[in-house]
Amino acid sequence: MDPQPVGAAPSVIGERAARGVLLPVLAISAAAPLLLLLLQSVSRGWFYPALWPAAFSAEAWRALGERAGRITIALGTSLSLAIATGAIGVALGWPIGRALADLRGWPRHLGAAAAFLPVAVPPVALAAGLHLSMLRAGLGGTMAGVLLSHLVPAAGYASLYFLGVFTLFDRRIEDEARTLGAAPVSVLWRVTVPMLWRQVGEAFLLGFLVSWAQVALTLIIGGGRVRTLPLEVFAYLQAGQDSFAASGALLLVVPPLLAFGAIRLAVARAEAVPL
Amino acid sequence: MTGPALRLTGVAVRFGQTPGLHGLDLSVAPGERVVLLGASGSGKTTLLRAIAGLAPVAAGEIEIGGREVTGLPAESRDAVYLHQTPLLFPHLSVFENVAFPLRIRRTQELRVHEAVTRLLGSVRLGEFADRRPHTLSGGQRHRVALARAMAASPRVLLLDEPLAGLDPALRDEVRVTLLSLQAEYRPALVIVTHDLDDAAILGDRVGVLLDGGLAQLDTPERLFHHPVSLAVARFLGIANIVPGSVTGDRFSSAVGCLAVPAGFTPGPAVAVFGADALQLTPDGPIIGSVRDCRYAVDRTVVRVEVGGLLLEVGAQADQVPARDSQVTLRLELGRVTLFPGGTDV
Repeated sequence: MDPQPVGAAPSVIGERAARGVLLPVLAISAAAPLLLLLLQSVSRGWFYPALWPAAFSAEAWRALGERAGRITIALGTSLSLAIATGAIGVALGWPIGRALADLRGWPRHLGAAAAFLPVAVPPVALAAGLHLSMLRAGLGGTMAGVLLSHLVPAAGYASLYFLGVFTLFDRRIEDEARTLGAAPVSVLWRVTVPMLWRQVGEAFLLGFLVSWAQVALTLIIGGGRVRTLPLEVFAYLQAGQDSFAASGALLLVVPPLLAFGAIRLAVARAEAVPL
Repeated sequence: MTGPALRLTGVAVRFGQTPGLHGLDLSVAPGERVVLLGASGSGKTTLLRAIAGLAPVAAGEIEIGGREVTGLPAESRDAVYLHQTPLLFPHLSVFENVAFPLRIRRTQELRVHEAVTRLLGSVRLGEFADRRPHTLSGGQRHRVALARAMAASPRVLLLDEPLAGLDPALRDEVRVTLLSLQAEYRPALVIVTHDLDDAAILGDRVGVLLDGGLAQLDTPERLFHHPVSLAVARFLGIANIVPGSVTGDRFSSAVGCLAVPAGFTPGPAVAVFGADALQLTPDGPIIGSVRDCRYAVDRTVVRVEVGGLLLEVGAQADQVPARDSQVTLRLELGRVTLFPGGTDV
């Protein structure tokens, strides 16, 4: 019998080709907006339909530097809100997600739908609904009010995330730890959290990003008194200061990337160190 | 004199919508190995979990080391529960896995090091101390899980189907490790399984869970040779169940007449005996015809038709008679158990 030619199956070749096309497309679609922002931030007089800026200038960045005090305060406010939202989101999402994972049948679906609701509702509608509640509670225009409003979608996301995590998590390992002498709190800190450290980091990042990207909730609940970096950028955009907006938007990109890197690093270190 | 390591008094456990187990009494001495046999769904695992404090008890009392623990949480019971698959902590090294119970008890670092080193030596994994669980083979993981359980120095070690799903070589490896660790650290063992061979090898006593209760608890020899009921005999898969009738002091059946104990109820009765209670001998009183032969690794069984009944007879692999040949058999009377009633009891 003649030897059969050896080679990859057609489906594998198709997958490789798709990967070869899709990965560069993904990379370009992620990088292109950032490059355009960078170009916009150093341009002067770049108007439609021109393909290229008429001139280059560092004016937007200089202006940003001149407003460093205001920008720093906004950055600090945004960071504080995002970190608090991420942390509290995890603290709320963990037990809610775990409790939902314990449920079966319609109570589970109902619980998941309840967690999904603040995620599914458009931010403006959510803000309008929360606005009245916050005003009644005396939290309108305060950091606490804005934080609470950010927590509504963030806790929803975190709950749904941990629902998936605990659906797959093998609880028997906790049982075994209990019989080895560990009280529930010890099991949590010595077994469950270290085992799910990566997931905790990801859920924190999710909450961080939800808060970091908020404009509608911050604007409506904060009533203009709580100034975050996205609101500053939004204000530049409204004023038609595209170069300022671009430089501010680039500044907006940095903290989430740093947070992402820090979480990855922390998780990697935690995995390498024994309890 | 020391009391039992584990005592169950009238324990009832439910599982799902079914009543589960009820009225269970069991006493396990320190260092004793008790194996509980039961069919799938008989409540074996639920019972172990209830003893460990991981499942509720519907009624009764559980004592461990003379202390009533029925209402205590799992971590306060002095009973370690091991699942069928070794559940090691993936974020900890082998050393830290074994050290886990000692760290929980805030044991001094020097003693932790000594104890863990000794335990890892006992399970021949000293050089694997720094490895992560996912880098170990299946057998090695089982050994680490056993070492970790021993590090807790439990009075009672509860093992849920510890050898299920393992290939023969791995079974031997885990079995040897389990027995050597138990001999060294002397916890009472309660093992649940549905494997009769494991039960016979591992158990000082073997119990059969049937119809929601402990139908028999005995030494392996007595259990397999003298089951207390036809239901237990059937559960144990005892090969030969021969119907007959008792008249006066004789039991008459296809295998001949047997003397019955005094006071045995006259009427229909059943004789039960294993394949090894029947021997092929040239001058045996029972005459039959060979139908077929079944070979296994450790035994050979010849099926012989006697008076319309198919009986299983133990044989040497190299002395198997030809099919349809006439043979004579001898029954070891001391290995026969009689039960009143028919085979449908």
